[in-house]
Amino acid sequence: MSTEHTRLLLSGNHAVSYAVKLARPNVMPVYPITPQTPILEKITEFHAGGEMTGEIMTMESEHSVMAAAITASLTGVRVFTATASQGLLLMHEMLHYAAGARAPIVMANVNRTLGSPWGFWPDQTDSLAQRDVGWIQYYCENGQESHDTTLQAFRVAEQVLLPVMVVHEAFYVSHAMEAVDIVSQQQVDAYLPPFNPPHRLDPQIGESWGNTVSQTMFQNHRRDMGEAMERVLEVGKQADRELQELVGRGYGILEQYRCEGAEFIIATMGSMTGTVRDVVDELRAAGVSIGLLKIRLFRPFPVADLREALVGVPKVMVLDRNFAPGTGGVLFQELKAALYGLAGAPEIHGYLAGVGGTNISPSAIKEMVQCAMGENPSVNSVWKG
Amino acid sequence: MLQFIIQGRGGQGAQLAGKLLADVFFQEGRYVLVYASYGGARRGNPVSSSLRVDDKPIRLRCDIEHPDAIVCFDPSLLEGGKLLNAATGQTLVLINSSLPAKEFAHLGDFKVVTIDARTIAQKHQLGRIVNTTLVGASLGLLGYSNVELLEKVVGETSPLKPEGNVAACMEGYRIARKGSC
Repeated sequence: MSTEHTRLLLSGNHAVSYAVKLARPNVMPVYPITPQTPILEKITEFHAGGEMTGEIMTMESEHSVMAAAITASLTGVRVFTATASQGLLLMHEMLHYAAGARAPIVMANVNRTLGSPWGFWPDQTDSLAQRDVGWIQYYCENGQESHDTTLQAFRVAEQVLLPVMVVHEAFYVSHAMEAVDIVSQQQVDAYLPPFNPPHRLDPQIGESWGNTVSQTMFQNHRRDMGEAMERVLEVGKQADRELQELVGRGYGILEQYRCEGAEFIIATMGSMTGTVRDVVDELRAAGVSIGLLKIRLFRPFPVADLREALVGVPKVMVLDRNFAPGTGGVLFQELKAALYGLAGAPEIHGYLAGVGGTNISPSAIKEMVQCAMGENPSVNSVWKG
Repeated sequence: MLQFIIQGRGGQGAQLAGKLLADVFFQEGRYVLVYASYGGARRGNPVSSSLRVDDKPIRLRCDIEHPDAIVCFDPSLLEGGKLLNAATGQTLVLINSSLPAKEFAHLGDFKVVTIDARTIAQKHQLGRIVNTTLVGASLGLLGYSNVELLEKVVGETSPLKPEGNVAACMEGYRIARKGSC
């Protein structure tokens, strides 16, 4: 066992697979779907080559995958799976169940447009449409972050007993190959002790799960879930800090990039944050007081941290690569709600940019900045790009 | 930053060509970011690979606006397609064709170079797999010099016929270096 780091040229999907191998899950129910399939292909390759133990279960649908993941998880073992788009939607019923059953499953979701019409493009609507199911959600900017976040996800899930979705976008991250530093097995073993929950389904113990309950019991159970979600804000920061101490890379649950004294902040999630960084650097060099607020942890939504980050900032521009017809961009809605009643709250401009995977170039972002600087914000999301 | 757009038809190995180029630069210690995009991977459909190479980490996650090189696996992709939309007068456009470059002058004011990669590939028993020849030729045209590394990476990453692929790649590279494309 070595602590030397290994740097590989990997796609974002394979960066996740390597992290899963290191986390030593016991059960992995699988079902393929573009553009997620390389994650599970690589895992089955590791398994076939003897580099991974644990059980791989090939299921007949994503719904069955999640049903298998829940039941396996409740026996007290570590469980991983991955999906995308339509597959995630087919799981929807079981996503609620997984959270309610307090099954700390870790699942990667690769953002892809939802039919109809058919497409394969990066668009975050699939996972954002699951925002109320009780899963923790992380949005990753690149393969390195997806690798590190997958490890953090097991830590957080097992500490609070809630499932975690690690999300990255089709193509721009899933199929983008770049250098990824792989955490060593020794470091991961120190970071992720074997999962040993206080309760488990075991014929030798005799506990049951998911019985019919009274109204009050149901309500108390939901309150417990809410409290567990609240704990994620601290547990997530700690999981990030501790991995950073081991490997030197940390992300925070939010990232404020060049926000010192910024009069204009661009808020976004996922792969677009990378492009925005270049824009911020360019505009800062030209004397514009601008920064980036990257939302990495979307569920629970880090309201207190966001209020602290944005209080006193005159203008915020939200870039949403997703669309909820009838309400607009999801991040725009959530951010407005999070800042409600805050004295010194910024004006918020909500732009739909990159919906359906349309290309968002640095020059397009600069035009949007210019536009937001010169106009009053609209209450609704505005189509751009 | 050095930027490539590589386009072929599904099954021709354009995606793998992008990966191969990325691997060469990665093993040299440079930062790379390559991604492929396709509307459902079907044989015959256009498949593009976008590659960026730099001396610092690459953060851009968007299409390449002004490529240094466009590698076109099949001239039929040029007619009425969008491949050349991003090209400027400075862009090197390498086309797999047995025709001389002047036959493509009507496409616009680009630095067009052709190479008969199909014939070279067939000579090395690679059938219609032209990607390694085109990788060699594009690196040759860009003045790339680490031949040993190129040979090593092609040899190690070819899924089949590593020797034939190395030979085709080096032939493409030499022709490009000599300016005989």
